[in-house]
Amino acid sequence: MSMRIVATGTGIISSLAAGAGDFEAGLYAGRTGIGPKTLFADSVPGGAAGEIRDFAPQQWLGNKGLRVLDRSARLLCVAAHMALESSGLSQQRPAEGDSDLGLVCGTMFGSVHSITSFDWSGLLDGPNLVNPMEFPNTVINSPAGQAAIKHRLRGVNSTISAGLVSGLYAIHYAMEFLRFGRAQALLAGGVEELCEESYLSCKKAGITSPQDRIRPFAPDRDGTVLGEGSALLVLETEEAAIRRGATPFLEVCGFGSSHDAHSIDTFNVRAAGATSAIRLALLAAGIEPDEIGFIVASASGSRTGDAMEAHALENVFGKRLAAVPVCAPKAAFGESLGASGALLAVAAGIALQKNLVPPTAGFEAGEPGLRLSSSPQPFEGDYALVNCFGCDGNNASLVLKAAGSKQ
Amino acid sequence: MRRVVVTGIGLLTPIGSGKEEFWSGLIAGKCGIAPVTSFDTSAFPVHKGAEVKEFKPEVFLRRRSPQEMGRGSQLAIAAARMAIEDSGVEISSYERSRVGVSMGTTSGEPQIVERYNDIRKSEGLDSIPKELPPKYPCHVIPSNVAIEFDLHGPCLMIPTACAAGNYAIGYGFDMIRIGRADLILAGGADPFSRITYMGFARLGAIAPDRCQPFDKNRQGMVPGEGAAILILEPLEAARARGAKIYAEVLGYGVSCDSYHMTAAHPQGDGAMRAMSAAMRESGVSLQDIDYINAHGTGTPTNDRVESLAVRRLFGEYADKIPMSSIKSMIGHTMGAASAIEAAACALAIDTGIVPPTINYEVPDPECDLDYVPNQARRVDPRVVLNNAYAFGGNNASLCIARCEN
Repeated sequence: MSMRIVATGTGIISSLAAGAGDFEAGLYAGRTGIGPKTLFADSVPGGAAGEIRDFAPQQWLGNKGLRVLDRSARLLCVAAHMALESSGLSQQRPAEGDSDLGLVCGTMFGSVHSITSFDWSGLLDGPNLVNPMEFPNTVINSPAGQAAIKHRLRGVNSTISAGLVSGLYAIHYAMEFLRFGRAQALLAGGVEELCEESYLSCKKAGITSPQDRIRPFAPDRDGTVLGEGSALLVLETEEAAIRRGATPFLEVCGFGSSHDAHSIDTFNVRAAGATSAIRLALLAAGIEPDEIGFIVASASGSRTGDAMEAHALENVFGKRLAAVPVCAPKAAFGESLGASGALLAVAAGIALQKNLVPPTAGFEAGEPGLRLSSSPQPFEGDYALVNCFGCDGNNASLVLKAAGSKQ
Repeated sequence: MRRVVVTGIGLLTPIGSGKEEFWSGLIAGKCGIAPVTSFDTSAFPVHKGAEVKEFKPEVFLRRRSPQEMGRGSQLAIAAARMAIEDSGVEISSYERSRVGVSMGTTSGEPQIVERYNDIRKSEGLDSIPKELPPKYPCHVIPSNVAIEFDLHGPCLMIPTACAAGNYAIGYGFDMIRIGRADLILAGGADPFSRITYMGFARLGAIAPDRCQPFDKNRQGMVPGEGAAILILEPLEAARARGAKIYAEVLGYGVSCDSYHMTAAHPQGDGAMRAMSAAMRESGVSLQDIDYINAHGTGTPTNDRVESLAVRRLFGEYADKIPMSSIKSMIGHTMGAASAIEAAACALAIDTGIVPPTINYEVPDPECDLDYVPNQARRVDPRVVLNNAYAFGGNNASLCIARCEN
C-alpha cells in the first residue's frame, strides 16, 4: 500500500537525556549516559549501566496515581506524555480520550521485575499475604495498559515482544494498523527498565562486557552494557497529520524482518537473516541500497553480533559501504533491549532533520570498512537505515527519511 | 488484498490435545478442571485448576531437547507440530522467509521465574544457572517455534494478556493479507503458573469448584494452561493444494478501555467498540452474526459486562445469537484462551455445531442471553465472533466465517 506514514512527535527518555532536545544535544556532543550502576546495588553490587539517574516521573506526570506504577510503566508514561505534547495532540484531544488514538509498545523482559517480586513475596510471606495491587503489574502488557489509563488512549493497545528488535517491530505493527485505517494516530516504540533480573540474565549469559565498556564494532569489544529507557514516535498517515495541521518531520518508509531460526542464544555470523531483513526493508521502501545516506547500527559491542551486522552491511552495500556514514548510538545510552529499536529510530530521525550523522560515543577505531566517527558526519542520500538484530535470530530493519523531502 | 483461511488446527487443552479429542470433549461438555498438580496448593484458599494432562514434549520436539526451553515453548511447539500435520502443508515447499510465527501470551514463561526464585531462596542468587534466565523473555516462545520448524519469516509475540490469541491471529491475518507471508503459524500459549494462580486467588477471582459462566451463582474463573496454533494461508494457495478449509478470517477489532487495569469498563464500552470494529472490517452486519464465542470467564463482573455489551450492541437481535463460554470446560487458559477459542469457532463453522456453556443452572437477570446451556447445539453458523478481554483494558474480537465462493 502506498499510504505514507509519518511521525509528528517524539517522546524519549534514556540514560543519555530526557526529551528529544537534550537527547539530540547529548548525541551530537558524543556524550554517554553510561556510568556506575546504582540500582539494585544491594543484591548485585558494582557494574556499569546506562541507568536513568534520579528518575523523577512526577516532573512530567504529577504525583497522582504514580505509586502503583512500576519503573517500566513510569518510563513509558513519561515518553507518552512527551510524545503527545510534541505532536500537538495534547491540545487537540477530547477530554474523555480518543478511541482512535492508541499505543504499540515493544519490550523484551517486560514486567520481569514486577512478576519476580510478586512471586518472591509469595514465597516469603505465603500466597495469602501478597499485595493484590501488585498483581496487575505482573502481566507483560502492564506498562501499555497503565499508559492507556494515564493518557486516556482508547484505541489499539498492543505490546510487542520480539526480543532485541521489539522496538522496530512495534513501529512496523503501528504502520500496518494505520494503513488498515484502524487508528488515526498511534504512539509506537518501546520500553525497558534496568532491573536485577534482566541484568543478571545478561551478565550470567556473557552478553555484558566484563570490563563494563561498550565499544560497538571496535576490535577489542567484549560485550555490551545494558541501558534502559523508553522512546515513542507519534505515527499518523500523512493525510491525517496534514488534516489536523501537524508538521510531520519523518516518514517511515519500509520495514523488513527475518528470523535466522538457527539458535536461541547466538548470532548467525553468516548474517543470512540480517542481510535479508535489510533487503526486505529497502524493498518495502521501494529504494536501492545506493539511496541510503547513513546507517544507524544495532551494534552493541557484542563480538559476534557486531561482526554479523558488519557482514550483513557488506552483503547489502558492497564496496560502497566504506563511503556510508555509520553511527552506533547504543554507545551513548546502552543496550536498552526492547526499547533499543525505538531509541535508534529516534536518533535516525534527528540525524535526518539535522542533515548530519551523530558521532559514536567513545569511538576510537572501527572495523575496516565501516565509517564510524567520533565527530558528526555529513551524508548524501535521502534515506536512513536503522538496524536491530537479536541473538535469538530475530532481525529487523527500518528505512526512514525526512518528511517532505523529495520522493 | 488476499483472503485468508484457516487450514490447520493444533492444540493442547485441559480437556484433551489434538483437534479430535478437544472437539469431541467440547461437544460432550467434558470438564478439564481438577485439583492442581503443578504445585502444592495447601496454602491457598482454592485448589482447582485446568492443567494440560500427561504432556510429553519429547514427542513433539525433533530439533532440540525439552530442557532447552520452558513449558510455554514446549506447548507452543507441540501445538505447532499438530497444526502443521493437520493442515497437510509441506513446509519444505515454501520459501522460508515467507513462513512466520505470530503468538500471544499472558505470562510467557512464568515457570522460569518460579524456578529462579526457588533457587534464589534455597541457594542464593549466585547459584542461578546461567542457562535459566534467558529462557524467560516471552519472545523466545515464537523464536523456539521458528527454530524447531526452520521458519525465517515474521516472528513475534504479542503479550496482550488474556486477549493475546486474537491479537496474534489478527497479526498473522494481516501479514498474509498484505502479501508479506504465505503461511503463518498463529496462536497462543501459556503454561500453568503458581504466580498467576496466586494473583487471581488473592483477587478472590478463582471459583473453588466449578466454572459457571453466566450462571447467577457463578463464583469466578479457574486458571488453566494450554496452547493453540492455527495455520493461516491465502485462500488461493489453500485451494491450489486441495487443503481442507475450516474457516475464513474476515477481520478483527481491538480497543482499550483506558479505565482500569483489571476491571472491565462497567458499561462494556471497549468490548462494544472491539466487536463493532471487527464487524466493520469484516464487512458484516449485526444480523450476520450466528454465534459468539464469549470471553465468559465466570467472574461476576466479566460475564455481566460482556452480556451487557452484546445486548447494547445487538439490541433485540442479541436474543437470536447463541453465545457460549468454553471456559466452563477448559478453564481460563490465559494467553492461549482466545487462540483455543478461535480454534473452537473454526470447528463450529466446520461441523455446524456450537459448544455449550456447562454448569449453567440458574439464570441471572443481568445475563439475559442464550448461553447454549449444558448441551451442544446444531446452529450451522456462517459468521461468528470470538471475544477476548484482558488486563490492561484490552479488548479484541475476531470475526471468522464459513469460506464461501
